[in-house]
Amino acid sequence: MNILELNDITKDYGSVKALKNVDMTLSNGEWLAIMGPSGSGKTTMMNIVGCMDKPTSGTVMLDGTNISEVSAKNLTNIRRDKIGLIFQQFHLIGYLTALENIMVAQYYHSMPDEGEALKALERVGLRERAKHLPSQLSGGEQQRVCIARALINYPMLILADEPTGNLDETNEQIVMDIFRQLHRDGSSIIVVTHDPEIAEEAERTVVLEHGKVTRNTKNAVAGSRGGDEKNV
Amino acid sequence: MKRQTMYMRMITGSLLRRRSRMFIALLAVAIGATILSGLVTVYYDIPRQMGQEFRSYGANLILVPSGEEGAFDAAAIEGAMRSVPADDIVGVAPYRYETGKINEQPFLLAGADLAEVRKTSPYWFVSGEWPDADGSALIGQEVADMIRLVPGDRFTLTGTDTAGENFSGDFTVSGVVQTGGDEEGFVFLSSADLDGLMGDGGRIDVVECSISASSDELTDIAARIGEDAPGVSPRLVKRVTESEGAVLTKLKALVWLVTAVVLLLTMITVATTMMAVVAERRREIGLRKALGASDRSIAREFLGEGALLGGCGGLLGSGLGFAFAQLVSMQVFGRPISFQPVLIPATMLASVAITAVACLLPVRSATTVDPAIVLRGE
Amino acid sequence: MFLRMLRGALFRQKGKMLMIAITIALGASLATAMLNVMLDVGDKVNRELKAYGANINVLPKGASLLGDLYGVQDGTGVSDRYLNEDELPLIKTIFWAFNIVDFAPYFETDARLTDVAGAADSGGDGPSSRGDEIALIGTWFDHHLDLPTGESLDTGIRNMKSWWDVSGEWASDDDADGAMVGAQVAERLGVSIGDTITVEEDGRAKSLTVRGVFDAGGNEDDRIYVPLAVAQELAGKPGAVSSVEVSALTTPDNELSRKAAQDPNSLSIKEWETWYCTAYVSAICYQIEEVVSDSVAKPIRQVAESEGAILEKTQFLMLLITILSLVGSALGISNLVTVSVMERSREIGLLKAVGAHNSSVMGLVLTEVLITAAAGGAVGYFAGLGFAQVIGHSVFGSGIDIRPVVIPLVAILVFIVTLAGSVPSIRMLLSLRPAEVLHGR
Repeated sequence: MNILELNDITKDYGSVKALKNVDMTLSNGEWLAIMGPSGSGKTTMMNIVGCMDKPTSGTVMLDGTNISEVSAKNLTNIRRDKIGLIFQQFHLIGYLTALENIMVAQYYHSMPDEGEALKALERVGLRERAKHLPSQLSGGEQQRVCIARALINYPMLILADEPTGNLDETNEQIVMDIFRQLHRDGSSIIVVTHDPEIAEEAERTVVLEHGKVTRNTKNAVAGSRGGDEKNV
Repeated sequence: MKRQTMYMRMITGSLLRRRSRMFIALLAVAIGATILSGLVTVYYDIPRQMGQEFRSYGANLILVPSGEEGAFDAAAIEGAMRSVPADDIVGVAPYRYETGKINEQPFLLAGADLAEVRKTSPYWFVSGEWPDADGSALIGQEVADMIRLVPGDRFTLTGTDTAGENFSGDFTVSGVVQTGGDEEGFVFLSSADLDGLMGDGGRIDVVECSISASSDELTDIAARIGEDAPGVSPRLVKRVTESEGAVLTKLKALVWLVTAVVLLLTMITVATTMMAVVAERRREIGLRKALGASDRSIAREFLGEGALLGGCGGLLGSGLGFAFAQLVSMQVFGRPISFQPVLIPATMLASVAITAVACLLPVRSATTVDPAIVLRGE
Repeated sequence: MFLRMLRGALFRQKGKMLMIAITIALGASLATAMLNVMLDVGDKVNRELKAYGANINVLPKGASLLGDLYGVQDGTGVSDRYLNEDELPLIKTIFWAFNIVDFAPYFETDARLTDVAGAADSGGDGPSSRGDEIALIGTWFDHHLDLPTGESLDTGIRNMKSWWDVSGEWASDDDADGAMVGAQVAERLGVSIGDTITVEEDGRAKSLTVRGVFDAGGNEDDRIYVPLAVAQELAGKPGAVSSVEVSALTTPDNELSRKAAQDPNSLSIKEWETWYCTAYVSAICYQIEEVVSDSVAKPIRQVAESEGAILEKTQFLMLLITILSLVGSALGISNLVTVSVMERSREIGLLKAVGAHNSSVMGLVLTEVLITAAAGGAVGYFAGLGFAQVIGHSVFGSGIDIRPVVIPLVAILVFIVTLAGSVPSIRMLLSLRPAEVLHGR
């Protein structure tokens, strides 16, 4: 079952065509990597999939809803309910503790629940850092808080933009371990990256060039996907 | 956990953990609130304080006996003064006029409660001392020049009393009064002394009253005295009342306009500072939106922050503003200012409103930004 | 390169720089307006206080003030000494001529009332009124004067007795038959506007038409005012003036002026010069005595003293309000500068990362802010002049004098305030470690 289907997507910024007739699908529980050089349309793709922008033409079906047709307000609701975002720059709110940063996502989604937020922190191994402010955390720790925040509302799709772009080798491995674990648990993941090593971890790689999909292949060494599919 | 609790945690977190920025914002709001409450207090106190100052022009209400010939006594005056609020009375000086002779030259004698005269005519310039005991007199400059008396000299006053008998009394010149007006030709004695010389008591020819009230209030007071006190006819000293009204109105208008201009500019300054503080957080707004916040909830959070900030700043400012107003009052008028409790909530409300509006403007423009900015890492 | 970076910062971040400039302009306009108003408020309020009438009384030397207070008359004060009417314009030529706002001569004479006739009905003359002595005062109502200096001036009691409540109209100096009657006289004689009164003195009779009745709330109400020449003619004393009231703008008294008022000769030469060249009421009196022969000029303390007190208070009040608003706008501006500079921490971090020294970062930021401040300050100065005029016109009905001294004051203020506002933010920027900033913390 496909949870995401992009059909013939085109996105224009004035005279610049950022995406040209792109087709792409993502099945439930799949781990997809999007690669491409700068300016290839990765970010535009990310914005459209993340319900932050609409295509100029074409349809985007997310979990059976055509998001190219809904209003901006409903787009926000869909994003809130179905997508967990992870950013290259972490983007934690500087004046809130790690725990509170996670609870902000709960707050906008439904109801803040401290216990649940603590559990999420535990999953990324940061339970004892709950009361720390972002400035007191290392880059890797911040990104783990960011992941915990993305997961807190049990999103249908995790969308990560260069999640390891600002991290050193060690932290990169920690973060990738979390992704692997998420994948084993059955989450659908899209990772945008230009690091081939990261892309190889995914099951499938889509390569964008000049707004077009130039390659869409299953990876030979598919992510160590232990114990088959589980329900999400 | 309740949503409200999280809401409060977010707001207080923003205020308490971003100390340097919030300190600036709080400072801006507090300054604004200080100026607001300070100037408003001063503005409301000016008529009262300046009114007191204007009493230096002397009596603004004169009571004379009604009817053709006559005089009134202390009882009638007391009756008349019941029509005047006690707090507003600066001074009430009854005068009795008679004639007498010094060295066989005739002079006008005035008997008065000299302590009250000092209050009703603060502009008198006395070289020497004001008389403080019976048997001493204040003489006008003219009189002093004519009979060559200086403070400390003694003189003998002679004349005819009410009963037609001759009288004679010895007095000491305690001071010489200069006014540039008619008073310079008088010899001022205490009422008791003059009554003693004249051989009867309690006769009063005219009463000068200095009342701290506006021209309209004085007209009312005069009307009440005219109705309630028989035998007393009140007259407004137009030169003083009319002019005071005119000048005071201008002064009030001046302070009002200055207050308005200062407030307007202060508000704009507070608003621009708040805008700068909030505009800095565009990225954060984008992030919140990416996390699924609606425009309304973002607006609500910033509004909450602004309101809290405005409240604290307002409270701080109303205190400082009162201190400023008190300083002005003590320095300029030498009198404490009356505390207006209503100004505290009013100042807080105003600062909350200004800060909230100042926060909302940049938030509005920020919410139109699509959340995708956070992805681009701008 | 410095200039290029500067230009880039100034023109490419128009929004932020504009905001700083606007705030500085607002602050500067407030400072300009308040300083100008404060410096001029003394003069303005002084003019308003002229509503209280004259503050100097000029009398012939040797004449006595012993007049008729409350109608008591004893004869000793009556004097046959007079001032010379021809010398009056000289009052407007003294050192402080510019401060003489108005003046009016008086010639007092007692005339006998011979006839009172109503204009329409003849029922005006009560039998008791005929043959009464009545106080007649000759004066200038609104007299046009051509001064020896070539200037001209309109002066008289119409300007000076602002509190008079006149029904009918003011009499005029050219109208030899016109008179203004005090309310008490009018009531006693039963005359109203348009009626005719005939008075007589030493066989010279004169018919006067009542142009207006005034209520002054004082002893003027018991008198009849006529043009100066009419009264002089009636008394047979042309050119004679018994007193002059002068309304002058004065500086509040201080220690020096009090000392001078006692005896100008007791001052040292330097003190004397200071005193003479300051608009103290005693100095103006002294100067009037210099030009009007055989005269004594006395301050009317009721007006002069009170005026000083109120002026001082008003000026002090305005000074404090000005200080408050200056401090307020100073803090406001420095606040905004602080915020705007802090906002640029990323950019500064980058500059430092590519090897900028602290001093060059500081130089860049300061130059940028100061150029913006200069632009904002200039705009604000002119806006402030506008504000000052608005205040002047709406409160006093006349423009506020523009003082050049405000320009350097405002410039210094803006400069200091902007620098002070930049200090905390620059300190913060200098302590930034480039790596941290670029990692987006």
